[in-house]
Amino acid sequence: MTSHRLPVQPGELIDRDDLVDFRWNGVEHGGFAGDTIASALAAGGVEVFSRSFKYRRPRGILTADFHDPNLFVQVGDEPNVRAGHRRLAPGMNVTAQGTWPSLEFDARAANRIVGRFLSPGFYYKTFISPASLRSTYQRILRRFGAGGKIDPATPPAHAGKRFAHPDVLVAGGGPAGMAAALAASHRGARVMLVEENHRLGGHLLYGGPDAAPPLAELCAQIEADDAIEVLTDSVVSGRYDHNWVGVVERHGGEEHLVKARAKCLVVAAGKIERPFVFAGNDLPGVMLSGAVSRLINLYSVAPGTRVVVATANESGDAAIADLERAGVEVAEVADLRRSSSQLVRAIGKGKLEAVELSGGRKVEADLLVTAVGWTTPTSLLNMAGDRPVYDPAAARFLPGDLPQDVLAAGGIVGDGPVESIVEHGRFVGFEAGRRALTTRAAWQRLTPRAEPSDEVAAESTDIPELPAAGHPELFAGPTDGFVDFSEDVKGSDVAMAVAEGYDSMELAKRYTTATMGPIQGKLGGVNAVAVHAAAAAATIEATGTTSWRPPYAPITLGALAGVDEDPVRYSPMHDWHVANGATPIVAGQWIRPDHYGDPSREVLNTRSNVGIIDASPLGKIDLRGRDVTKLLDFVYTNRWESLRVGAVRYGVMCAEDGVVFDDGVTARLEADRYYMTTTSGGAGRVWNWLDEWLQTSFPTWDVRTTAVTDGYAAMNVAGPRSRELLERVASEVDLSAESFAYMNGRVATVAGVTDCIILRIGFTGELSYEVHVPAGYGLHVWQSLLDAGSDLGIAPFGLEAQRIMRLEKGHFLVGQDTDGLTKAHTAGVGGLIKVDKADFSGKPELLWEGESGAPRRLVALQPVDGSVVPPEASQIVDSATEVSRTIGRVTSSRMSPTLGRSICLAIVDTPYGEGGATLTVRLPEGRDIAATVLDHHVHLDPEGERLRG
Amino acid sequence: MARYPSRYSALSLLRKGATRSNWPRAWRHHELKSSYDVVIIGGGLHGLATAYYLARNHGITNVAVLEKAYIGGGGSGRNTAIVRSNYLTPEGSAFYDRSVQLYEGLTEDLNFNIMFEQRGHMTLAHNDASLRTMRWRAEVNKLGGIDSKVISPAEVKELAPAIDISDRPRYPIHGALWHPPGGIVRHDAVVWGYARGADARGAHIHQGTEVTGIDVAGDRVIGVQTSHGPVATPIVINCTAGWSTLIADMAGVQLPITTRPLQAAVTEPVQPFLDPVIVSGTLHVYVSQTARGELVFGASVDPYSSYSSRGSLGFTEGLAGHVLELMPGISKMRLLRQWAGLCDMTPDFGPIIGPTPVDGFYVDVGWGTYGFKAGPVAGEQVAAMVATGAIPELIASFGLERFEEGALTAEKGAAAVGH
Repeated sequence: MTSHRLPVQPGELIDRDDLVDFRWNGVEHGGFAGDTIASALAAGGVEVFSRSFKYRRPRGILTADFHDPNLFVQVGDEPNVRAGHRRLAPGMNVTAQGTWPSLEFDARAANRIVGRFLSPGFYYKTFISPASLRSTYQRILRRFGAGGKIDPATPPAHAGKRFAHPDVLVAGGGPAGMAAALAASHRGARVMLVEENHRLGGHLLYGGPDAAPPLAELCAQIEADDAIEVLTDSVVSGRYDHNWVGVVERHGGEEHLVKARAKCLVVAAGKIERPFVFAGNDLPGVMLSGAVSRLINLYSVAPGTRVVVATANESGDAAIADLERAGVEVAEVADLRRSSSQLVRAIGKGKLEAVELSGGRKVEADLLVTAVGWTTPTSLLNMAGDRPVYDPAAARFLPGDLPQDVLAAGGIVGDGPVESIVEHGRFVGFEAGRRALTTRAAWQRLTPRAEPSDEVAAESTDIPELPAAGHPELFAGPTDGFVDFSEDVKGSDVAMAVAEGYDSMELAKRYTTATMGPIQGKLGGVNAVAVHAAAAAATIEATGTTSWRPPYAPITLGALAGVDEDPVRYSPMHDWHVANGATPIVAGQWIRPDHYGDPSREVLNTRSNVGIIDASPLGKIDLRGRDVTKLLDFVYTNRWESLRVGAVRYGVMCAEDGVVFDDGVTARLEADRYYMTTTSGGAGRVWNWLDEWLQTSFPTWDVRTTAVTDGYAAMNVAGPRSRELLERVASEVDLSAESFAYMNGRVATVAGVTDCIILRIGFTGELSYEVHVPAGYGLHVWQSLLDAGSDLGIAPFGLEAQRIMRLEKGHFLVGQDTDGLTKAHTAGVGGLIKVDKADFSGKPELLWEGESGAPRRLVALQPVDGSVVPPEASQIVDSATEVSRTIGRVTSSRMSPTLGRSICLAIVDTPYGEGGATLTVRLPEGRDIAATVLDHHVHLDPEGERLRG
Repeated sequence: MARYPSRYSALSLLRKGATRSNWPRAWRHHELKSSYDVVIIGGGLHGLATAYYLARNHGITNVAVLEKAYIGGGGSGRNTAIVRSNYLTPEGSAFYDRSVQLYEGLTEDLNFNIMFEQRGHMTLAHNDASLRTMRWRAEVNKLGGIDSKVISPAEVKELAPAIDISDRPRYPIHGALWHPPGGIVRHDAVVWGYARGADARGAHIHQGTEVTGIDVAGDRVIGVQTSHGPVATPIVINCTAGWSTLIADMAGVQLPITTRPLQAAVTEPVQPFLDPVIVSGTLHVYVSQTARGELVFGASVDPYSSYSSRGSLGFTEGLAGHVLELMPGISKMRLLRQWAGLCDMTPDFGPIIGPTPVDGFYVDVGWGTYGFKAGPVAGEQVAAMVATGAIPELIASFGLERFEEGALTAEKGAAAVGH
């Protein structure tokens, strides 16, 4: 291919000494360091970069920057890479996206021929019947989907995030943004300056020789200023409440998220050049003026050989100068400021061949450049609550009212020569600095400090006006062309949508999908509004834009996700479990032993000798203060006033709707010291719950809550020989039944470790002690207990054995035997509900449930054939009715090794839950079995003799 | 001038294309009359479906649908367009099963292709407890005749190869509830189809018409005040979401509803790689790939009350983390757009459908996160209720009085994310 590379240009970004090899659709290409993918390909003569979404039309360079809708390519395993922005890297494997069989010949381009039948919303109007063919049609339609390919085997790219606390954050590193950053810094602010392109400078970068001196001066000043942090190839993705600003640093394909709390945000996003709507406006060879200036000045690439320029502004004029300097033959200049209808259509088959001007005159050309006006990227301002206002004289939307902590500078506000833009940026930056420092001082006053905080002069700066220059309203020419290049939507499509009744901009957008593609409304949004307004005989002001929503530019999921911070929690004894053959189970955030080989044997050993389980995941909360009993009385349904020092009590916590959400025990260890345990999964929730009530309803109560789940390792020693075992290792405590009875707690020394907490409670139904030891000594105490009990038959047991034993004992598990509607009465703990207490969470609902009767109840159930274990979730059906109606479900079920039969808990509709009733359980395989309801929840040792021994 | 209403078909599409003639309006403009037999507040899916079924099933056509902005701009246009019927409770699954049936026939019924793609709906279980809930749902569904079963991790991988079923993830996959009839719909199309159908049968759709007051005489509704003047009517149906409590207040009716945002987001399109809808309750996320190739994500409702439809940065961070936990290979896909919709949450997560203490004032509100998938059946049943004066069996358990009588629906028993 011929090289389109020009001789050295004064401001070029390429390094001609550094050759870079890469592949494009399997063919070797070369470029220079500093090239974008697109500039290197253009230099190599490539004209077609993609095929359009719907009609599969060939597409070439339009804007030659990040937002070019025609330059989406696949780079290796990365889809939708912006070839107009992404810098070339050695060995890059670049391919065109979604083409079949190839970019040069796409078989689906046949759609172009039938294009007139593919009117907007055509899919809503066809394949209505027969229904049987619809899924085939859907599959075909999906094959026309846009975008690159995802390889599910791509290794995850989790990138770290960081926080930033700039006083002033400037979005946009053009002349206004640079000037604003300098002025804010001059005022004493710390500044973060974010620029989307690889270099600072904005339009000055490709502004030709005249722009070089002011750019060099600004760059030198920024370089010299240590208070300005410059992020290039980065973008401000969104502005959220209280100036919480997302910034994405791009390093090639690897993105990092910076989360900044900016005291003041300056939006200096400049202007985005708008395409013109006319026939053939998407032909390769039709470019915007900015694209031409970028290709020539930044990358030294000749965008064509013979050009027609249609210009209405200085950007087009500058492009003409650039083209002439580059030696491109300027065949014709149509000055649209004089007459807007001069440009009729672009003509060509697959690429531009000629341009038709008014009067039917055709000019041969391989390049057509348009310069018809601007879209203001007000996205960040909209996210701050601003609604932009259309100015017909300037033919663009301009910022409206901004909040105090957001300012706009430069081209987004108005126009002028570089000096005016810089001047405006300076004033805005100076004022932004003042506002930021005022905020900083206010924040510092809130923080006790040894040194007095900075004080800032309060007088504000009047920012001089930067008026928007007059510009003809040029949106669409006399012929029909594309409004949205990504979505293949034409002006006539928008007009047709209006005619069909989709006559508000939001409806037309959704119907035609204009502005819904990857560029959103940045390029064609205003054109769509203008075409819509014309079709609806309305003004652009009245039509308004659709909502700009974050992010301003798309962000990779990897950058948003960052490094996975979800903790995995292990108990201090975890390594021991692994070494001793434990099978792990994921239990919420914890990994814990499910069993050590044979859960049944673990149960039997615990019931006959002594077992030990690692209970460290239990939620643990240390409560101190004079008013702890008041808090306990409020969050638990039962009574706590009478709890004496040394006693432990079980309690159920209900939300305000009376639904059980946690249970556990609390011990009173000293007069003003309590120790609460919660379910493993509920640890965080309960702690939040306590603190929420303390902070919102009881701020005067003297209660301090400390979450100590990780501070203590916990182990439960259970079984008839557990006391004997504990006596061997515990000291400073009398474990005899008389002095340390069931439901008591003591602080003691265990295996030489002081300040251990021993609670005599029994989830398993056995004589048992829960030993809580400072976490660092967990393994030591665990090992000591095992060593001391070797002759007593001690063996560890896991979660599964504990689940079996608690089921034998009839204890329910919150979340398994209860659900999101199970109130305390339903759960069968009515005896623990003291409605005569002054108040407690859930009281009104429980009072009412108690009076009206619970609609469902938890019951213990035993299959008549004790060898059958109905799987959990088996339905209980009313077999008397003709159609089987569900009247409940099995919530827990196991084979009991102790009883040698299957046992269950179930929730059933109250009338069916009487003791002695026989119910029908439908097994998942469809077979029905009979099961008997017990009088109580307890399958084993209902008198609790084992427990209290 | 084209004939009205115009029938949509492949043939008519060809004919229009060949002759380059215009389609008629899908729905017409009308002057607001001074009285209607029925006034429906809210031009979303529920309001328009109600208007459609009032006309289609009951011949009631003197109906106005009042929409303060444009049709389908609220929850109807902000949801993630998932349809399924594998609910946890018998009453829930029977109700949504009817909705799926209606969705399946809607394209032909409305003569408008709503693009219901029944690519299946998969709810992942990451631990014992959620696998137990899946079994519970499967058993309830089985009894109700709904196609729903628990599948193994290997089957998950087969149906959705992008999902990581190894033991690497923080939340490994233990199985899933698989519901083949579930899928996604082009949500706007449903709104437009109902609007076109209701309009063709005589209902008046008034966009840009805000209700500013509800006139009640004694304990009867007699009309509404609007931004375009008063309208007399004996029947008002509140089919709004987000602002349903404020509308009910206008009639002096208090609803036990709090409004919370639910955030969603969409990525840039890529070639099709994900067929089913994927839901993870543990990770609070659901994902589907649209016909256009975008991934659509949704989450649980935000943990606070708000009327804001703006998204937050924290939401997208958490969302991306959770999605990559499920599908680590898509970390290079880019998030394109985020937004929020408003969810009216009731104490038991069930909707409120039925009469109110004010005669003639009906509500079809409180849809929480389930409003879209319920649209057709809600419209059908509300229309039947208004037309016949009797409350149909399918919605009998959703009455406002249940909050006084304590007969709450049990859907809250399900996992927090039910999509």
